[in-house]
Parts: sequence; structure tokens; C-alpha cells
Amino acid sequence: MIKRKLILIMENKPGALVRVVGLFHQRGYNIESLHVDPVDDFTPYKFIEDQLETKFKQNEISRLTIQTLVSDSLMRQILRQLNKLIDVIAVSNEKTTYLKGVLLDENLL
Amino acid sequence: MGTKLKLSGADMLMRALYDEGVELIFGYPGGAALHIYDAIFRQDKIEHILVRHEQGATHAADGYARSTGKPGVVLVTSGPGATNAITGIATAFMDSIPMIVISGQVASHLIGTDAFQETDMIGVSRPVVKHSYCVFDANEIPKIVKEAFHVATTGRPGPVVIDIPKDMTAPENLFEYEYPEKANIRSYNPPIEPDSNQIERAVTELINAQRPVIYAGGGAILSNAKDELFRLNEILDAPVTNTLMGLGIYPATHYRFLGMLGMHGTYQANMAMHNADLIIAVGARFDDRITNNPSKFSPGAKVIHLDVDHSSVSKIIEANVAVFGQVKNSLSAIINQLERKLDQYNKDKLQPWHEQIKNWKSSHGLNYELYKDESDENPILPQAVVQHVYNITEGKAYVTSDVGQHQMFAAQYYHFDEPRKWINSGSMGTMGFGLPAAMGVKFAFPNEEVLCITGEGSIQMCIQELSTCLQYNLPIKIININNEALGMVKQWQDMNYGGRHSQSTYQNSLPDFVKLAESYGHVGIKVEKNSELKSSLEKAFSMKDRLVFVDIYVDPSEHVYPMLIANHSLEDMWLSKDKKT
Repeated sequence: MIKRKLILIMENKPGALVRVVGLFHQRGYNIESLHVDPVDDFTPYKFIEDQLETKFKQNEISRLTIQTLVSDSLMRQILRQLNKLIDVIAVSNEKTTYLKGVLLDENLL
Repeated sequence: MGTKLKLSGADMLMRALYDEGVELIFGYPGGAALHIYDAIFRQDKIEHILVRHEQGATHAADGYARSTGKPGVVLVTSGPGATNAITGIATAFMDSIPMIVISGQVASHLIGTDAFQETDMIGVSRPVVKHSYCVFDANEIPKIVKEAFHVATTGRPGPVVIDIPKDMTAPENLFEYEYPEKANIRSYNPPIEPDSNQIERAVTELINAQRPVIYAGGGAILSNAKDELFRLNEILDAPVTNTLMGLGIYPATHYRFLGMLGMHGTYQANMAMHNADLIIAVGARFDDRITNNPSKFSPGAKVIHLDVDHSSVSKIIEANVAVFGQVKNSLSAIINQLERKLDQYNKDKLQPWHEQIKNWKSSHGLNYELYKDESDENPILPQAVVQHVYNITEGKAYVTSDVGQHQMFAAQYYHFDEPRKWINSGSMGTMGFGLPAAMGVKFAFPNEEVLCITGEGSIQMCIQELSTCLQYNLPIKIININNEALGMVKQWQDMNYGGRHSQSTYQNSLPDFVKLAESYGHVGIKVEKNSELKSSLEKAFSMKDRLVFVDIYVDPSEHVYPMLIANHSLEDMWLSKDKKT
């Protein structure tokens, strides 16, 4: 088990956070720390806007940081399941970013 | 442009459902849903079916969805109405069935006050829905409905809940109605077309395989990939097995069909999977009923995995080639490539593999002629009941089932040549599913034979729907395989718990099912003798316009075989009570 940091970019909608937390809870993964902020500087996420052909507006998206203890083998599964949540736009760990069906080989978030 | 239509929230909901193409709603009224129910009364485009329990509504909508491919729609009230729907929502979720569940909620200002019939439906349903919406602004009802149907029916399908506080549907508040042409959810774009590099790799593996097996599941049915799968195997000529959820996607009477695989799969299907050098998984997810112990699963096989859901691939069994996309499109892409390389593919090389499978089949295959024994010296065999039903309906009926031994016998002995005709709760294993699911199918296909193979345990879990069947005149045939026990539980107790039948029998407390069916206005037939079985079933199926409940007393000691030996590989099976591989 290794302590890992995951970063999520998600829609700032009611219920979105609890879906993310629920996914960890349901599978018995403990969350060590969690931090959410609305995003107001979109420049780091221009690649998401380009990929999804959208323009983010103020208060529309949140950036979520989760630290958790997870084994290597489960990491990919967690990323994929988080990415599957409808309100989650992108999710990354140290090495990978999942952006709705697109897998990128570095942490871009 | 003329002035836009002004409607209440409830009327907008009905209008949006109509604009989405909904024909039927299964539901049950109650306080928080009354504005919506009044809107139903004031329209005549969508028919509402009144069930007797909300679980029945969800299973009926589920049966409708599985048989038609269109999403089923459910309407329930808040509190107990919503929670009663949960089992059916979970059933649809586990089998990836598109469903829209609209639940009434207490008025916005009462939420969080422990109001009468208040429950946090979004919270309670969260782990068993694909997505959910709570309406906070009535203006958004059309957009939410559009999005809900889009999410429920695309990608890997699933149930979507729309929770609507009562004030959102109040008749006095009117809004301009406009139904969106399409849903645009930027954070949701499930894959459709596969990656061409992966297709290339898959085709190379297919060309090189010596012992391939096609393993097709429910995802292939959901993607309507029957023709593509058939065409692919016209080229490959490989053996094909289906999961419990996939039965019908490849014709069961085809000479390359191995039967179902897994826990109660055929000997030849499990042996072929275990000894394969290439497994082509088509919309199947290596469930624990399929793999047995994953670390011992098919040791020499490479895996090509076709699926629409990223998180299903390499979850249990690592895929050598992962093809993400609609299974139908992925199969088409593979066929396209293969057709260009036909000179490199020699199907004759599979002959030794086919010979091997033939030997497995002849050594321990299922006996499909049990129905020939009509001697009253022997008890009725449950397998023979299914064989008779198959013969009488010429294999063309829609068959729903409940959960347990009868379900496995139905899956083993009713040969489905078409997809969407075998309707059962596979992953969730929900007892009580069969009868309401059959109602949903019958509403969708009123002129087709619809039957429910059930047991005396399962049928009692949603028996109240016999009343719904009378109200709407649904001539379903119920085949009650009655072994006077919770058969599958009892089988496990026989095999693993020293024959201690803890709470799996009823101590002579079963109802008289004939009288029970008659009290609901239907026909009941009791069968206790082998010699009467065939004629009784023929009589039941000859009554085209009546629901007939056929209560058949079968050998209570019968077990389902083959059966995988827990924690071993796929080639380790019990073949009968005293014989294993």
C-alpha cells in the first residue's frame, strides 16, 4: 500500500463530491485527506477545453485533491472508475491522466 | 416563431417523456407524485400501468427494456415508494439495463425535516444508479429528462433516477416548454469507434490462434451485435460460448455453440475456455460465476477484450488486447480487417480443436432427452419440464425466470436462437423478478408467447402482480417448478453443509397455487405425475387468452450440474452428486 495523490477536475454540481467519496467508501479505500476548490484560473486546463470542445465559466468546475492508501494493482481500476462518474471531467495520478476516454501518459492536472 | 407552450412542471415531465418516445410507464401513485399523476390523467399519449408493488414496476420496466432495447420508465412516490424501487433499480444496474426511475419527493422546503414519506432517494440509490438528478428548478425538467435518457441508453447502459420535489410539479406554476434536440454533457462521452491499432492487433491474434473460443455476454446483446458476431464466426469458425446474460446472441442450435459457461455451464464450454489459447471476450466481464478462481483461469490463453466500459477491461483477467468501443462497431472493424486478410486465415487448422470439443461433449454433455421418460414410477425432473416447454413453444417464446435451480435449468435446456428472448436477473440474482418482468415483455409484445419459469420460492416474492395481470389481461404462462424447497440453497447445504437444510424448507406451509391463481381470476393447473406433464403443459399453452399458472411438483432431491468446484479452475466440476472431473 502506497500513499497516493489523485487530482480530479469535475463539474461543480450538487452531489458530485459525494459520488467520488462514495466510490472510495464502497470499495473500502480510506481517504487520508481531501481538498476541494472551485477553479477560477482555467489556463492550466486549456487542453481539456480543447479536447472536450468546451469553454469553462466561473464556478463551473472544481479541483479535487485526494490522498489515499492504495495498492498498485488497484490504482488503474480506481482511476477508471472515477473517470466513469458522469460529473468527473478528468482524473490523474503521478503518471497518468484520464480525460473521458482519452488516456494521457503524464500527470497534466 | 409563435409563442412557446406554457406548461406546469408535471405537464412538462409528461410532454418530455412523450417527446422522448416513451409509450409506457410502470408505476404506483402516492402523495409526492400526485401532481404528476394528475398530469397523467389529463393526457392520452402515454399509458400508465398500475402495478401492485413498486418492485414490480421496476422489474416490469426492466423486462420491457431487455426485450425491446428501449429504456423502461418507472414512476413512484417518495419514501417507501422510492425505497421499494431500489431492488429493481439495483437489478437493472448490475445487468446494465437502461431504465429511468422518476421518484416523487417531499416539497423543497420540507427536505431535511423528516417530513412524512421523506427519504433521501438520491443518497439511497447512489450506489446502484449510473447517474441521478434532483430537480431544483422546474425550468430544467425538459433538459434533465433529455440528459437522463441519454445517459441511461448510451455507453454501458444503466438506470438513472430523477427525484422531483412536489413543488416542482405544482399545477399553478407554468413554464415555457421546449424539448432539447440533443443532450450535451461535456463530461460524458462513452467510446463508440474502436482504436484501429487495437483492431490490427486483435486480427493478428485471431489469425494465429490454434484453439480460440468466442465468449460473448450481455454487452453484445445490449449493443445489438448479433449479426456482426455471426458474421465474424462465419469467417473464424470458432467454438462459441455465451454467459447467462448473453444467451441468444449466438444461435444455441448452431453446431459451433458450446452452451453456457461458468458455474453451471456445460462441460464442453468450461473445458474449452480452460484449454483455449485465445479468448475473444465480446461484451462480457469475467464475472466470478465465469472465472471460478481467477488465478487458475484459462492458464494458456491470451485475451482479446471488446467492451464499451474501460473499467470492465483488465479488472479481473488481464487483457492482452483491449478494444474499447461499442461492441457492434468493434466487431465490424475486426470483420473488415479479417476480410482483407482471408488468404492468411485457414479455418482447417481448427479441426483438432473441434475434435477435442466433440469428445468433451460426447463424454459429459447434457442429456437433452430427459423429457422422453413418462413413467409414473419416476418423479418429474425439473430439466424435463424445461425440455417440454421448449418443444411445445418451438423455442420461440420469450422466457423470463426468477433465481435459483429453475433459472439454471431454463438456461441449460431452453435453447435460445435469438437475443432479448431470455430475460433473467443475472448479476443481482433477484428472486421475484420473473413475473413482473414477464408483464413488461408482454406489454411490449402482446402477440408473442411470454412465459415465466419460476419456483415456488421466487414466485411468492412478487405474487401480488397476478392482480396486475388480471387488470391488464396479460395471458402469461407461469411454469412453477415446485420442489417444495429453496432448491439452490438446499443444494449448497447438501454439498457444503453436511445436508443440514437450515431454513430452506417450508414445513407444509405452501399455498394451494391453483386456488391462488383462481382467486386472482386466472387458470391454475396442478401436475404431480410424469405421465400428465406433457398434456398439462400443452393444455396450458393452448389457452391463448388466459394467464395459466402451472404448478408442477418435481423431484425435490434434484441438483443442478455441472457445477464448478469453488476456488478451483474452470475444468474442475461436479458432474453429478458423486462424480467430479
